[in-house]
Amino acid sequence: MIALLLSHASAAVIAESSSSGPVWLLLFGPAAGGGVYYGLWQYYRNTNKSHSFETETRVTAQSVTGTDQKTGEVKGTRKSSVDGSNVSNHRQRVQRVD
Amino acid sequence: MLVCLFCRHEWAEARLDETVANSDIATLKGTTVGSGAGDIAADASSVITLKCGGCGAEVVVNTAEQMGARCHWCRHVLTVNEQVPNGAVPDAVLPFTITHKAAVAKINEFAGKRRLFADRAFVREYKPENVVGVYMPYMVVDANASADVAGVAEVETRRYTRGTDDNKETVYDADVYAVDRHVDFTADDLTIEASAERAQMNSSIDTNNVINTILPFDTENAVKWNASYLTGFTSEKRDKGVAHTTPALEHQLLSIARSEAVASVSRYDRGVRWERERLQVHGTRWLAMYLPVWLYSHYQEKDGKGMVHYIAVNGRTGEVMGSVPPSTGRLVAAALTAGTVVEGLMIAILAAMK
Repeated sequence: MIALLLSHASAAVIAESSSSGPVWLLLFGPAAGGGVYYGLWQYYRNTNKSHSFETETRVTAQSVTGTDQKTGEVKGTRKSSVDGSNVSNHRQRVQRVD
Repeated sequence: MLVCLFCRHEWAEARLDETVANSDIATLKGTTVGSGAGDIAADASSVITLKCGGCGAEVVVNTAEQMGARCHWCRHVLTVNEQVPNGAVPDAVLPFTITHKAAVAKINEFAGKRRLFADRAFVREYKPENVVGVYMPYMVVDANASADVAGVAEVETRRYTRGTDDNKETVYDADVYAVDRHVDFTADDLTIEASAERAQMNSSIDTNNVINTILPFDTENAVKWNASYLTGFTSEKRDKGVAHTTPALEHQLLSIARSEAVASVSRYDRGVRWERERLQVHGTRWLAMYLPVWLYSHYQEKDGKGMVHYIAVNGRTGEVMGSVPPSTGRLVAAALTAGTVVEGLMIAILAAMK
């Protein structure tokens, strides 16, 4: 609701000042409101917390082995990382093969 | 410490690793299940009958709620120490070391930081001394496994700007690689919820994730089961067996393998998209344990739906995590204030630029 109210207010200001200045700055207001709401809510509810078993378990691993083969090149992409990067999202399960 | 009520003799049960086979995890083959972690018989009742060793009377105990009783004829204390096929008797128990007083202090500290924006009913009804010591059922698993992961990785070769003044954008060139990794590893004492109700973690309807967060426990110090450790505490009966908890174990093993592979792909600065994974579990060793948790709960009813918010304290390490219901009105007020201040600043900046 807050975001809605603030975005209405911002839209009105954008309409008035569309000819001058970087009006996208006005998006910071609703963004700050939304950020404060989400940040506080999460601080109280902690819904994103869980046991970090990857780092808090006694794991003994042998050296990691594997192969790397160049398969092609990408030119002029606007994306700053590989599509669907999940290198740090260890709990996202992918296709299981036997 | 346990104390004999007759002669005041004090003793502690032997540590579990001194009483069960505890071979090197790297040599584990097949599935080894502790006598307390066996399958729960479908027809097993929670209610069992104990024969009093003092007078011979028969006393009925509901193991879903308690693991001991006093003989109502001779006051002899009876405890459930023999294995029963209903999942109530684990292999081991990890006794509480954090006292009730220390748990109250931990909860006070946690909740005290979350008072201002808390739901008013929570603040009104807040009584940390009502915290309850609960022995929760877990499967503690050692595993010897291998995993393979395969996917696509990219290395940035060039970064440049395209377009003119108003339409500038950064674009990238990259080399694409097909990568695969293999890792052999062992995991010692992975701890998995063995109560179906606690294992369910859906943050929109429950707060079980906060109990999961206070793991791990120093399970290597667990002692052989003796129901007398439960005196003064409550406990929850295990209702999941090896087959039910295997998917959770495999998920944890695959996650650990992916975590282990991270360092080996650090040169791929544009990241890796893992697409396939494979797990081979060579051997596992399962033990059922009761682990100690101090639990403070608050029941909140909102929009006709009820939710229990827990604040949990690890009964060994004192790690605390919880869910405090926030007051929507207060959060909205805080968000509006912050949004208005920032928006005011932005309008002032825009005005100055005119």
